[in-house]
Amino acid sequence: MNQFVLNHGRSPELALFPHILELGMKKNGSIQPNSFPATVAEGLRIYHILEGRFEWYINHQPHVFYPGDVALIMPDIPLSSDNSVLTIGSFIWIQLAVQKLDTGHILPDKWSRLSDSEAAAISKILFVNNLPALSRFNEVCSIIKCIYTELFEMQVAYQTRVNHHIDELLIQVSRKITRQTHSTRDFPQAFTNLEMALRQDLAHQWTVEEMAGLVGMGTTLFTEKVKNFTGFSPINYLINIRISEAIRLLKRADISVTDIALDIGFYSSQHFSTTFKKLTGYRPSEFRKNHLRNI
Amino acid sequence: MNCIITVELGTYGVKVFVYSLDGQVIGSMKGHYPTFHTQPDYSEQDPEQIFITTLYVLKNVLNEYIHPKKHTVASICFCGSMHSVLAVDIKGNPLGNAITWADNRAKKEAQQLRDSPLGKKLYGETGTPIHPMSPLVKIAWLRDHDRERFASTSKFLSIKSYIIHQLTGEYMIDYSIASATGLLNIHTVNWEDDALQYAGITADKLAVVAPISSTAGNLKKAYQQSLRLPADTKILIGSSDGCLATLGDGIIKGEGKASITIEDSGAVRVMGTSVLQDEQMRFFNYLLADNYYISGGPTNNGGNIFEWFTRQFGDFIHQFDMEDSMGQLLEDATNVPTGSDGLLFMPYLLGERAPIWNANAKGAYFGINIKHERKHFIRATIEGILYEIYSIGKTLEEQRPITSLSVNGSFGTIPFCSQLIADIFNKPVQVRPQLHSVSFGAYILSATEMGVYQSLDDTAVKPAEPLHVFTPNEQHHQIYADYFRIFERLSDKLADEFEAISNLQQKYAHSDKSLTHDKP
Repeated sequence: MNQFVLNHGRSPELALFPHILELGMKKNGSIQPNSFPATVAEGLRIYHILEGRFEWYINHQPHVFYPGDVALIMPDIPLSSDNSVLTIGSFIWIQLAVQKLDTGHILPDKWSRLSDSEAAAISKILFVNNLPALSRFNEVCSIIKCIYTELFEMQVAYQTRVNHHIDELLIQVSRKITRQTHSTRDFPQAFTNLEMALRQDLAHQWTVEEMAGLVGMGTTLFTEKVKNFTGFSPINYLINIRISEAIRLLKRADISVTDIALDIGFYSSQHFSTTFKKLTGYRPSEFRKNHLRNI
Repeated sequence: MNCIITVELGTYGVKVFVYSLDGQVIGSMKGHYPTFHTQPDYSEQDPEQIFITTLYVLKNVLNEYIHPKKHTVASICFCGSMHSVLAVDIKGNPLGNAITWADNRAKKEAQQLRDSPLGKKLYGETGTPIHPMSPLVKIAWLRDHDRERFASTSKFLSIKSYIIHQLTGEYMIDYSIASATGLLNIHTVNWEDDALQYAGITADKLAVVAPISSTAGNLKKAYQQSLRLPADTKILIGSSDGCLATLGDGIIKGEGKASITIEDSGAVRVMGTSVLQDEQMRFFNYLLADNYYISGGPTNNGGNIFEWFTRQFGDFIHQFDMEDSMGQLLEDATNVPTGSDGLLFMPYLLGERAPIWNANAKGAYFGINIKHERKHFIRATIEGILYEIYSIGKTLEEQRPITSLSVNGSFGTIPFCSQLIADIFNKPVQVRPQLHSVSFGAYILSATEMGVYQSLDDTAVKPAEPLHVFTPNEQHHQIYADYFRIFERLSDKLADEFEAISNLQQKYAHSDKSLTHDKP
């Protein structure tokens, strides 16, 4: 495969794919000044290293990449190298336009055939782990090459095929992230990491699928493991964390019960109240009053 | 039918058991809560989550095993881990997280106190070794490093005392958990002035010390309703996990019996009617009940070390998870001759408490030759963990003869390990399969309180439980005795090198502290 760069807006091959901002392959045979200026892009960039050794700064943190490794750069994150020089080697990359939500999550747009809940789970995994370096990950290379072939050959139904490949890319990347972050040999550690993620974002409407995705397991195995390890189903464990946080917040006078409910992930104060009462015996307001007066 | 409920507040979670009066398990459930390591050496738990989890599990147990069958709950008895500290304000609100036994932030304070004449004196008065685990030094640490929290604290509680206070409104602490604080005079059973003074507090900052069989008032109305329990349900304050495991093992009566617990960490305990005094301050002494002292030595390096080995060297390609991998390793270990062909392992991966009390101690394999294979390392690792247990037992035996052993805890009761213990100690080892010693101890305590047994002495033989007995193999013992002599000498001789490597490890420590975490 020869060097090439396709850019959205300039390359006719991308006319049907506004979400592919850039697709390219670079072979660098010599060291030139200013050959790799620092960049910040609006899209999600995925680089797969084919040859050479690259020392890049992603969000100002150094990472070293060898052949087979993947650099994953989230939107608006700076990418640079020492003295803006590109070292000798080659890589293939794609840059994808994604929706950016206020929460910091990114979601694929309408072109994607991922279901809403699957897309949410993937974006959660990307967001929580923030893992810019994925090692030994050749699937990415094959997928980008497939996209390239489809774009140049334009066989029947290639538009669908390309979008299909991009979905596949997102799925593979998120699965790889969870595999790299969590090893099945250490479920307690994986569970601790998950628990931290849950606590950092209690207001989020967590699904079992998302939670399982974060530790890199299927939902069935995940549910079984959590039950074994904690004694609770994943959702009940989450409710436990939510209610303990509620107890802490109810002891402070400066936050309303409704705000507490929303902060910790109940969709209404009524729902919160019922759950709280079921578990603790008190209605939240009653707990607060009682608590401040008696204890 | 009358039932007894036991609630065990452990390090990793809460376990609730329902027993019939004659000691049969009717049902049980558990709930996990996490430990947070916000900084190296810190180990904390969220008291609210512990409370919610406890309520949740208790409620589920009642709804599953008690209410549908119209059983009556005769009593609910609590057991808890030792050495936790939770500061609460005047309203009983937690001021931050609870600091658990595993927290080492007060390392420096402990070392200073231990080396001082006051430390020796306090050990004599309280029976508790001076160590960062001890609430005595933890409170002193709070006084010096977290003045705001210290100043707003109305009471320093144990996690168990907090849970009981949440349920009933009473501030109480049982003898054994109180004696494990390092603040209780074990001879007079009062808070010790010297210790209070050292910690910078007065006795009213601590809960009321009470015998294990004390009841702690009535359940608050809301909990009576939500748990559907009558107002007069007895809430027994119970005891500590270590003491109850010993009681549950049935070794209370008669001298000469020792109980070995090996879970993640481990302990060797003996029962007696007097305190073990030790010049070198190696043993703990906890008061179970009037004139029942549980003495012994704790180790940091038990099943957690085997788990470490499994994680590093286990086969995770063919075995899906930890348990399977461990099983495979154990099987491989059985194919290695006794003594691992001269390969020795010092298990001090987490420093060590008893008997060497050296926080700088490190692990080592010794005697490696070209013929040693992976399987030798597996067996040597297990043997090393058990040599360490033996070295505690041996030091204890200098003061109190041991004739028979009971083993409990998930690692110790693996048949292969139980047999090794028998061989290394050259003493018969008893195991009660399927027994949850801590909860069973709490059952015994409750049942005695209800008159099922006449006294704690009486419970040693009842209820009859099938025992597995492992008989020592004299030949194996000889081999182990030979190797153990080297093991013992190595621990001693390496002390300087442990310190040297420890200093270097700290000097060249990776700057990223977030990577250092111990197991939750």
